[in-house]
Amino acid sequence: MASHIAPPRAAGTSAATEDSLSGLLSQTAVLTRRSLILLVRNPMTIVFALLLPVLFLLTIDVVLGNSVEIATGEKAIYRSAPLVTLVAAMLGSAVGMVGIIDEQLDGFLNRLWVLPLHRGAGLLGRLFAEVIRLTATTLVILGVAIILGFRFQQGPVAALLWLAVPVIFGVAFAIAVNTAALYWPKALLVDAIQPLAGLGLALCVGLVPLDLYPNWIQPVVRYQPMSVAVETMLGLSVGGPLALPMLGTLAWFVGIVAVCLLPLILGYRRASTIG
Amino acid sequence: MTISTAHRPAPATVQQWWVLSSRLICSSIRNGEVALCIVTSVVATAGFYIPLNELIEGPGLPTGSYAQYLLPLITLVAIAFASIATAFRAATDSVQGINRRLKALPIAPLTPLLARITASFYRCAIALAVALACGYAIGFRFHRGPLEILAFCLLVLLTGIALSFIGDVIGTSSRNPAATSQWLLLPVMIFGYLSVGIQPLQRFPEWIQPIVSNQPISRIVYALQALAGSASPGASPVTWSVIGTALAWIFSLIALTVPLALLVYRRRV
Repeated sequence: MASHIAPPRAAGTSAATEDSLSGLLSQTAVLTRRSLILLVRNPMTIVFALLLPVLFLLTIDVVLGNSVEIATGEKAIYRSAPLVTLVAAMLGSAVGMVGIIDEQLDGFLNRLWVLPLHRGAGLLGRLFAEVIRLTATTLVILGVAIILGFRFQQGPVAALLWLAVPVIFGVAFAIAVNTAALYWPKALLVDAIQPLAGLGLALCVGLVPLDLYPNWIQPVVRYQPMSVAVETMLGLSVGGPLALPMLGTLAWFVGIVAVCLLPLILGYRRASTIG
Repeated sequence: MTISTAHRPAPATVQQWWVLSSRLICSSIRNGEVALCIVTSVVATAGFYIPLNELIEGPGLPTGSYAQYLLPLITLVAIAFASIATAFRAATDSVQGINRRLKALPIAPLTPLLARITASFYRCAIALAVALACGYAIGFRFHRGPLEILAFCLLVLLTGIALSFIGDVIGTSSRNPAATSQWLLLPVMIFGYLSVGIQPLQRFPEWIQPIVSNQPISRIVYALQALAGSASPGASPVTWSVIGTALAWIFSLIALTVPLALLVYRRRV
């Protein structure tokens, strides 16, 4: 297959040109599939992206479950399950980040750029693969949480929205870190996700209820993106205040996208054309 | 295979070790490794102390304050991150062919591995110093003599060396630098949370207490808590059985991983 000399334009395939919408759709589908195949063929990634978060969920449920239940009056799993879905989203997005760093350095991005592809297909393919990955991870963690006693109490629409929150959060996080990776393609950046995720996880209402944090740090804990996401997911599962946390989650998402989208596109173009 | 060329340089192994170690140590300041190491240690302190202080602080603690109780675990977590970065380094060397190149040179086969462990020791020392400084800030104090302080630091650093060997095995065998280091957070958190470093044993559910009490981190934490002492009379005394169990765990970890490291290193290069 590789040894054939291709005609100048692949004859017989759809006549989609590189700037047409149908071209964008089919090419995005191919690149999404490519990202997912890369993900699935790396068994380490699957084991770590699913097994470790699940083990971590079991751990904090065993260790802090009782204390948190006494402090809040509701099962700790309603807080810890959302927290773990968010942590898994953050750690998983490092995979995409590694990919974009590697492909920038080994010339794959340049290669895509010289092919007759829609300019948006590369980034959109990554985005869709990320959404699928996030949904799958969230579903697995949810499954374990249900075994541990988690129940949706606000109906099916709320349950679907609950599933969407980690995806929205994860997409925003992936956009932010991939933008960083395009401008500073260093492996150390990937390492830096760990203290970031660790700090976010420690200062989050999903781990310990807000009033158990020292007063001076409560504003940070309360409004950081992971906390508003956990609050939203709490409202969507056991019930409670919903409008404000949901607004907060969306505000963080819109804010991050607004700040990063243009740099992301420009950075991707730059990374694809230099080197 | 014998090589019959006229002369072959015979540089001193110690010098080679030093050159290879400084290659790793010098670059660590420029490439941000040291900065990351410091940040991680501070985050480890904040990440355990801030959320858990109020939740766990109470009359049940044998050491009086929670800071006093928690610090051993904080140092171990900081050390874990600092030392397992070796994994990353090993994998990078493995991918870039540096190991293969070194193997073609007249260098003893273990020297590159030792150099990586040395660099890891250096990062561990930084992590320990930062963790102790953070510990002092939240209220931890050493309550015994200088000998115990020294023993505390040595025990932590020895744990770091044991973990570096594990990291090196993982890193050398993985061949994918990025795929190794990013997954360390959760294992470290899982081992940390399921240890007596976080709360006294009797606060865990009964069924899991045997696991918690006997896992290596708990054993090392027991020894470190004894060596640090406390202001209240509840602190456990420094006995050979406490220190000995911790040392036994560390040395058996090293004894298990060193042969494995050799095997992997020989096969992968």
